[in-house]
Amino acid sequence: MRAILLENVTKKFGDFTAVDGLSFHVDEGEIFGLLGPNGAGKTTTIKMITGLLRPTSGRIEVLGMDVTKETMRVKERLGWVSSEVILDDDLTAMQNLWIQAKLYGVKNWKERAENLLRFFGLEGFKDSKVKGFSTGMRKKLEIAMALLHSPEIILMDEPTVGLDVVSRKAVWEVITRVNKELKVTVLLTTHYLEEADSLCNRIVIINRGKKVVEGTPEELKNSYAYDVIELESAVPLKLNGWDVIYSDGNKYRIRVKDAASVLPSLIMEVGPQNLRKISVKRASLDSVFISLTGLSLEEAGGIDERKLQMILRRARR
Amino acid sequence: MSLRSMDQLLALYYREVTKVYLSVFTLVVTIVQPLIWIVFFGSSLSGLPTFFLESYFHTNNYLSFLLPGELSVSSISMGMMASMSLVQDKRLGYLKRVMVSPTRNYVIFLAKVLGGATRGLIQVPILLVAGYLMGAQIAFSAYLFLWVTAVFLVSMGFSSIYFMFNATSADWQRPGLIMNLMTMPLMFSSTALFPKEFFPWWLKLISDVNPLTYLAELGRLALIQGAFDWTSFIALMGFAAFFLAIGAVVAEYKLTPE
Ligand SMILES: Nc1ncnc2c1ncn2[C@@H]1O[C@H](COP(=O)(O)OP(=O)(O)OP(=O)(O)O)[C@@H](O)[C@H]1O
Ligand SMILES: [Mg+2]
Repeated sequence: MRAILLENVTKKFGDFTAVDGLSFHVDEGEIFGLLGPNGAGKTTTIKMITGLLRPTSGRIEVLGMDVTKETMRVKERLGWVSSEVILDDDLTAMQNLWIQAKLYGVKNWKERAENLLRFFGLEGFKDSKVKGFSTGMRKKLEIAMALLHSPEIILMDEPTVGLDVVSRKAVWEVITRVNKELKVTVLLTTHYLEEADSLCNRIVIINRGKKVVEGTPEELKNSYAYDVIELESAVPLKLNGWDVIYSDGNKYRIRVKDAASVLPSLIMEVGPQNLRKISVKRASLDSVFISLTGLSLEEAGGIDERKLQMILRRARR
Repeated sequence: MSLRSMDQLLALYYREVTKVYLSVFTLVVTIVQPLIWIVFFGSSLSGLPTFFLESYFHTNNYLSFLLPGELSVSSISMGMMASMSLVQDKRLGYLKRVMVSPTRNYVIFLAKVLGGATRGLIQVPILLVAGYLMGAQIAFSAYLFLWVTAVFLVSMGFSSIYFMFNATSADWQRPGLIMNLMTMPLMFSSTALFPKEFFPWWLKLISDVNPLTYLAELGRLALIQGAFDWTSFIALMGFAAFFLAIGAVVAEYKLTPE
């Protein structure tokens, strides 16, 4: 049985199609990544899986149940972590967990809550008001809350947005442990290709609501990733026969399958005396994204600074 | 309602009532406004001749007449609390958290409406004490508590009306606008401020179906005479039940998380 299955799912807001005929599935036990730039339709997709939004057409199944028909039963089996931090600031960590427990009908909630807080290293803050928590602590508390009712699947919308490098690594570790130790299937969305690469077994890249490609990070890198050589020369260059993807004055970006094996011949062709600078960007999911959508992550939107500020402000309130 | 839903309601209600200071400003305004009313308006007619007051207002001081009336009118502003809190939860995303959980929408609705009315109820003791200090008659009896229950029920009825207007919207302004829209016509077409002996025939007709009239008259009966009228009480329960039912249905089918 699939943990999550989407079949030809479309979501329209008025005339605007946010998700367009999207199909993919998540197997039980995996960490699955939904990747795409701003406005790609990631959040909309997650909301449809949770039952917050109804798809305009198509079919979504969670653990074999149709989300639109068995919404309540699906909700009991899902955990959800939003991209904004949603906690009640005026309440303590335990009070937040208590409400969550009541909403999900968790029986031995206190014991579970305390175990989870320990699991996430928050046991010292259980009776502190959430108001004083750092963004990293909030995120951990949110994940703890999402796990309180022992869901089989957890959906995380941009779990590391707004975190510094250290907290981000900590959340990565948490996600891996939740998956391995608690045996929870994870579906996460992210802008960070690096994140998907290091966490996910499989990923789907979407853009403008449509699936661009699906596979393991390895597969994608092998079939779509290119190295990019950036060079600056003293004179204008012809570079016939090279795949030049960008040029500005005497600066060029060249796409090659394997930089190491072509560098010598490229240098010979340019002429070492003309070469001012040369650098190689190795294949990564970033370059997968570029070769599939034509845009780098920054150009496609990347992390929207304004949105980030908004989320942070909201989290602090 | 299942045991599970009761638990959910309890948790959400707890959250609502501990949020009092979340809207300190609204709270202050809702308390100060009726206070101003009874201080100024209550004084404005205090010089009326006693025989006049006794024959038309059935009391010898206007404040005694006004106090239950004004408290009845403020059930409209008490009702606003629930939708303010709904807007807040939509804006902060908290409603999404609740709606992702297996909680039925009508439970969310009830928690808001009960919580809002509970918070609004703070006005009652404050106004009663203020009125008492200023010389209004207050008969302390079980009927007083029954009447306060009626105020609570009616404000839940009004809550439901506000809720319907904000079910699909997160607009901050709507609750205030709806309050303004409802307060004036309902207040002046009821006997909250003036006895209906002064009304033209058509206003009497409106006044006779206006819940504020029943609430105000019931309050006068309880506060001034220490008596009660069960028919009015049941009618007011009917008003609350009708709008609560509609509100619950609207919540079930129309409530949006944002
Ligand atoms: N309620 C709505 N009404 C109208 N348009 C919407 C609504 N929700 C989302 N959209 C639009 O749908 C598109 C997809 O939005 P969505 O939030 O799913 O993107 P995303 O991939 O999560 O982006 P981000 O990385 O910025 O979070 C966007 O263009 C957005 O403006
Ligand atoms: Mg998003």
